[in-house]
Order: sequence, then C-alpha cells, then structure tokens
Amino acid sequence: MWENRCKIAISGVGYSKATRSADIPLAAHALEAVKEAVVDSGLEMSDIDGLSTYPELPATGHAEVDGISVVSVNCMMAMLKLPDLTWHIQVGTTNIGGAVQQAANALLAGVCKHVVVWRAMHNPRGTYQNLPGDEAHGAAQFTGPFGFGGPGQGMAVAYTRWLETHDQDREKMATLAVTQRKHTQHNPHAYFHGTELTKEDYLSSRMVAYPFCLFDCDIPVQGAVAIVMTTADRAKDLKPTPAYLAGYGQRLHFEVAGRIGSLSSYMEGGSSSSRLTWERSGFSPKDVDVAQIYDGFSASVIYGLESYGFCGEGEALDFIQDGRIELNGELPLNTFGGSLGTGRIHGLWHIIEGALQASGRAGSRQVKNANVSFVGASAPIVTGTTFIFVGDPY
Amino acid sequence: MSDWSQTKRPIPVPDQWTKPFWESAKREALELQRCQDCGHFQHPPYPTCVNCMSIDLKFEPVGGSGTIYAYTIMYHNGDKRFASAVPYASIIVELDDAPGALMAANLLDAPYTEAKVGRRVEMVFEKLNDDITLPQFRLAD
Repeated sequence: MWENRCKIAISGVGYSKATRSADIPLAAHALEAVKEAVVDSGLEMSDIDGLSTYPELPATGHAEVDGISVVSVNCMMAMLKLPDLTWHIQVGTTNIGGAVQQAANALLAGVCKHVVVWRAMHNPRGTYQNLPGDEAHGAAQFTGPFGFGGPGQGMAVAYTRWLETHDQDREKMATLAVTQRKHTQHNPHAYFHGTELTKEDYLSSRMVAYPFCLFDCDIPVQGAVAIVMTTADRAKDLKPTPAYLAGYGQRLHFEVAGRIGSLSSYMEGGSSSSRLTWERSGFSPKDVDVAQIYDGFSASVIYGLESYGFCGEGEALDFIQDGRIELNGELPLNTFGGSLGTGRIHGLWHIIEGALQASGRAGSRQVKNANVSFVGASAPIVTGTTFIFVGDPY
Repeated sequence: MSDWSQTKRPIPVPDQWTKPFWESAKREALELQRCQDCGHFQHPPYPTCVNCMSIDLKFEPVGGSGTIYAYTIMYHNGDKRFASAVPYASIIVELDDAPGALMAANLLDAPYTEAKVGRRVEMVFEKLNDDITLPQFRLAD
C-alpha cells in the first residue's frame, strides 16, 4: 500500500454556471468556480498558495486565447493576486486528473498548503472538431483526407471494434444514457438538469458517428468547476467533511502516437492506471461503493468498467442493466449525471462527485453508506488517471 | 452508396518523414515504414520503432490486401467538405503484410452498410491531384 494513503484530502468544491454559448469570457466562469470552492472550504482566498490546471481546448481549428477560450495558470494568477503563492503548474498531458495528482504530490512534498485546481471549458462558435483549411498537416495528413476528424469518430471506431468482436448490441447503451439523465435531475448545476430522457428518445435520436447517436455524446458547453485540496491534518480544521485520497494511478497508453481506432490502447491504459490505484489504496473493485467513470462519449464507460476490473471484457453493456448502476444499485455510476448530464467539462466534475460521495456531501443523490469512491477521470487512451477517495480513512 | 463526387478532401501535406509514403502512393505501389532491426511495420510513420526502439527505419512495399479492423459511419454533416457524401464509412484497415499498422481510409464502391469488422478489403488508389494520391479500399472479391 501507498505510504501516503489518506494523507491528502479534497476540502471544497465549486461550480460556475454551464451555458451553451460563451456569453461571458471563460475566465469569469473559472473565477466563479474557484471563488465558490474556496468559500465552500471555509478558507480565505489569501490562504490559497498553490494553483494547478489543465487548460487545453479539445476543439480543433479555433484560436486559443487566454481568458477567452482557455484559462491558464498565468490568467488565474493575474485574477487572484495571491499574496503567498508558492507553487503552480499546468500539465500538458494526462488531462485534469494529472493536474489533481500533481497538486497531491506538491502538498505531500510540503511546498504548499492549500491548492486550487480548476477545469474551464470553452464552447467555440462554429464547428467543434473539423480540420480547418484545405490542407492536412502532421498527424491529420493520414486522417483528414478521409473525412475522419468529426465528432467522436476516433472513439467510434474503437466502439465498433468492441461491439462486433463481442457480438454486442448498441441499443443496450440506452440504459446508461437514461440512468445518468435520471441522476442529472439531482444535480442542479448540470446543463441537463430539468430535461428528462427516455429510452425511446435514445433509440430514435439521430446518428452522429455510428455507433454513436446524439445521446452518446456530451454536449459542448462553456463552464468551469474547481476544488480545494490540502493535507489531511489541515483538512480536519476546514468546514466540509474531507474526502481522503486513498490512492491514485496514471498511465497513458499509446502504441503509436496519433494512432486511431485502437481498442487495445483504451483497455491497456485503463488496466495499467487502475492497477496502481488498487495497489496503492489497498482496495479492489468489489470494495467500491460508488463509481464515477469519464463519459465524454458513452463508450468510455464501457472500456472503463472492463479495464478497471468491474466486469469482464465484452460484459459491460450487460453489467449496466437491471438497476445495477442506479443510486440504490450494486454499483451506482456517474451519480452526478456524468458529462452526458452536466455538459463537457472533462473529468474534474467526476473527481468532485467522487469526493462528495465519499464525504457524504452529495445531497439527494447521496449513495447510502458510501465510503469507497472510485473515479476514472478520463478516457484511458489519452489520459488514464484513476482515483479512490474515502470518507473514513482506514 | 456514398456520393464522393462533390467531396473536397483536405490535401495531405507530406513532410520530411512522411514523403516516402506519399511518393509510393503516387506510384500506386504503397510502402509503409519498417524497422530494419526487428522487421516491424508501423503506420503512421514514427521517429523510432515502436516495437524495439531502433532508429533504423525504411519504407518498404506492402501488398494491398487487408481486413477492416474497425470503422465508423459518419452521419454528422458539420464538415461541409464531406456533407454531400454523408452517410459514409470511415474504416481502419490492417494490412496482411503489416499487422498492427492501422491505416485510415474510406470504403469505396460499396454501400456504407457493408463496412463490418473483419471484412476483407483491397487497396485502390484515388488521385487527388498531380502530387497526391490517396490509398483507399474496396471490398475484396
């Protein structure tokens, strides 16, 4: 087991409004979320001495303008004017899960006391993921000419591979979309709070990139979420019940950079990352009371459930049936609605929910007696980060 | 059957490391990057052998027979250059001669519903201009 097990905690969460279009600059969303997280922790802003984020805009063909389409550490630093800032980083890989893990490392190293981590996501005008211009450079020279670059195609090819090698049926995914939308109704911060989804809606919705229909894809939004992290001894004195970090893992998996369509990369990334989390935390999948698994596209959940060890390969679409992932089920899953419910803010919201469930702060969606709370914060092919949070450190 | 006649495909821009691939496609005799130490084929081209870390890499001819490894059917018409072809099949092909080297392409000359994992395909060439020819695939006989 990890010598630093349960020595770090999440002690504050915050959200901005999530809107479909960019009515105010993204920096204003990020600031709103960060301020709320600090208020939630009971600290003063001047107590914050560490900053960490992953600022990437996943849309292609749009300018990255700091404060407008991304919110870098520089941008946050300029807004907050922290008197005692001693540590800051923005990670360039492993997505926001890596930024949270770096913050844990910095706290363990004793170079800062209270870190804010935020993820801010912009929704640019126009198309989200089309290659701009008449030419295809770099990695796109092998994909762009074939019209291979639109929403979700890179994930969709792995999903056909999964469906057809396991002789499975995409209609079973309706259970995931519908169950997560039910959970969304308990999350007032979510974009789809107040909007129901039925099985018939899912089955009759328009196809985007087969096997993905509209409701397999998270909707791009503009918004931000944030957390406050500190050491366990300091967390005891803060306002909220702490969620202790029992263990984490990180592992990217690329057989070849830029290679597409490889289901094995998703599976390898997920199993390598979660193996570290299981070993460090001392828990195994059967110990988990509640799970959040990144769902920018629905199939990520399937690869996650299998590669993290919750079920066998080819079994995930059957595993999610029969109420198993409901709030009172055997493995309540994406209990905040997931990205499919909140809109595309990437994995920090999964981490927030993992922490809230562990510390009993999830309100009307709280899973009864939840202690061991698992998070797979991002799709394993690009950013395999996994976490376990607990309410009772033991 | 997808109508490709109005499609405006983005033109690949070869670089120093990918030029041999596009030159071979132009000759309609495709070559993929191969490690001269362990014999591993890889695609897209990479600075080192992803199998053995060798930097001794050359482009070598491969046959055009392969299998659909994975695919997606594109319905979204947000990209106006491809909107007239929607729905169309984007496929990932693993060549018999180059296991593990996955190539993106379109399934041509067949209804998009014919795209299935494991289906046999063969390479055909689609000339875009005097410099660039795309390796594409159709169902094998």
